[in-house]
Amino acid sequence: MPGTSKEDSKIADAAERLINDVVNDQKIDLDEEFKSRLKRELIERIREHVESKRRQEEEKRKKEAKTKQEYFLRFGLNFRMQHLTLAVGVIILIITGLPIKFHDSTVAKIFFELTGGIAVSRMIHRVGATLLIIVSVWHVLSITLTKTGRNDFKQLLPTVEDMKDFVKNIKYLLGLSKERPRYGRFSYVEKFDYWAVYWGMVIMIFSGLLLWFNNFFLGIVPKFMFDIATEVHSDEAMLATLAIVVWHWYNVHFNPEVFPFNPTIFTGKISKEKMLKDHPLEYERLKAETEKASTGDKPR
Amino acid sequence: MTAFLTVLLALFQIGVSNPNSRCFLCHGKANFGVVENGKFQSLYVSPKDFSTSIHGKFTCVQCHTDVKVIPHFIKPRKIICLQCHFEGNTVGAPVKWMPEKYKESVHAKALAEGNPNAPNCETCHTTHYVKSPKDSTSATNRRNVPELCGKCHTKEFEAYSKSIHYKALENGMLGAAVCTDCHQEHDVLPPNDPRSALNPQSVVNTCTKCHSDTLLMERANVPVQQPEAYSESFHGIALESGMVKAANCTSCHGHHDILPASDPASPINPRNLPKTCGKCHPNADQNVAKGKIHIIPSEKSAGVVFYVYTFFKWFTLAVLAFLFVHIVLDLSGFIRRKYARHE
Repeated sequence: MPGTSKEDSKIADAAERLINDVVNDQKIDLDEEFKSRLKRELIERIREHVESKRRQEEEKRKKEAKTKQEYFLRFGLNFRMQHLTLAVGVIILIITGLPIKFHDSTVAKIFFELTGGIAVSRMIHRVGATLLIIVSVWHVLSITLTKTGRNDFKQLLPTVEDMKDFVKNIKYLLGLSKERPRYGRFSYVEKFDYWAVYWGMVIMIFSGLLLWFNNFFLGIVPKFMFDIATEVHSDEAMLATLAIVVWHWYNVHFNPEVFPFNPTIFTGKISKEKMLKDHPLEYERLKAETEKASTGDKPR
Repeated sequence: MTAFLTVLLALFQIGVSNPNSRCFLCHGKANFGVVENGKFQSLYVSPKDFSTSIHGKFTCVQCHTDVKVIPHFIKPRKIICLQCHFEGNTVGAPVKWMPEKYKESVHAKALAEGNPNAPNCETCHTTHYVKSPKDSTSATNRRNVPELCGKCHTKEFEAYSKSIHYKALENGMLGAAVCTDCHQEHDVLPPNDPRSALNPQSVVNTCTKCHSDTLLMERANVPVQQPEAYSESFHGIALESGMVKAANCTSCHGHHDILPASDPASPINPRNLPKTCGKCHPNADQNVAKGKIHIIPSEKSAGVVFYVYTFFKWFTLAVLAFLFVHIVLDLSGFIRRKYARHE
């Protein structure tokens, strides 16, 4: 990156002085062409050195800023534990479920060999299923019974604003506009993830329960319902797995902005810098709230 | 003169052209036999059937080597097939793998244990009328196999004779399954033996051998997709992964007395399905008959499941295409911004 013209001339002066010093010291004569080439090279070297120094300092400053960074609590313990339970459950379900869908593959054959066949792996699958059911009940209770849960759920509901944000973001990503959409507590991307899980959970839990307790349901629903449940369970599993591996992993792992991973869902903390960048409206709301609280407290 | 020549010719034929005719002088009489242990035992050999058999070109004494003079007054030793059918024999008797296979079978084991009813080579192949199985008059011809095995296995033959397989066989469909197609020919093994074609892990492959044969099934008017649909079903996958109690073909279709679903006596007749499924699923009732069995979701014949499959196929494709484009846009935006900062 070229510096200012003032800086450039300073460097040029320094280079010329250096050459002159050498000429005077050694008492040798250099022809003009060689001198100018030497000067150019020296300028380049000096500039490189100056720049690398500058970069180092900048990095140091950034590091210091990070340690001194102000943090906000984005997700409470309840929310974080729900995500952790869901994640563990889904990973168990995918590992024990996919070999059934792709039973002809070598990997599936090795998996069944290692676990001792479907008789064992389906028990592990049911452990994952139980975690999933627990988390769904837990989540419904938490979005109805707790205040933060109710608030979060309200803010997760899709709005017209999300559609506008989406259009804005696409324009921004394409370089058509310089304006980045200003998200609230949840961006449309996060809302999409949330409702995708909602849809998936409903389908997987209901079809899964039908297949798990097939004996109980055999006397209640006709046989073709089991066929539908089998198909739906297998297809939605594929969709969910692909969505997690492609979409969710990109957003929280492979996106260069957060690589190797975004720890907020596990620590609950988010830096002010990130907050301002990704959730400016939420930041403003929080600031306004704290100000209101501090001013509101005074008269009392 | 003519009479003389005829007699001469007859003598010539008896003495020279057919050395067996001297044996048939006695053994060729239909009621020839001896009484042994108070029981009449026939010693009759049909000259016509013998001469058309695979051994017809041999003389009697080539096998009955201990008969030196005719008539003989001693009882000849029992013939052992392996006295010719051994590696390096000089009479050109073919040596194949069948005797070795037979040694593994339940039949050979029973024989070794001293069961007098256990079958040996000649029990099935007959003693004097051995013919190629391709010969329709051979005892081991496909058409005659059920009756052959049924001579001892009467109960099984009775059940099998009611089956659609036997009916098809009677109607001239030689491709229909006979005993040996499922039980193997020489190495007949009990179903709990892992080498048996009727072991729960192998029985599906045994049925599939014929039931995935497009030509054969077309002729028999039986849908050919059943084995594929089964292997994709949970029963099929569970069995494949080692869960032996999972239903295989015979669990629902029965084995010897297999009948089409249209037959009211068939276990897979819609009316009998609750009972058939109920063997494993105690709550099964009329609901199990509501819906198709052996479906392939990607085929229209699967009915409602086909539409579910199609919906999910396009839905998944659309969602993933959208997500992928979004990711590519996000990445390209990131890269462009990074470049812009550096310029």
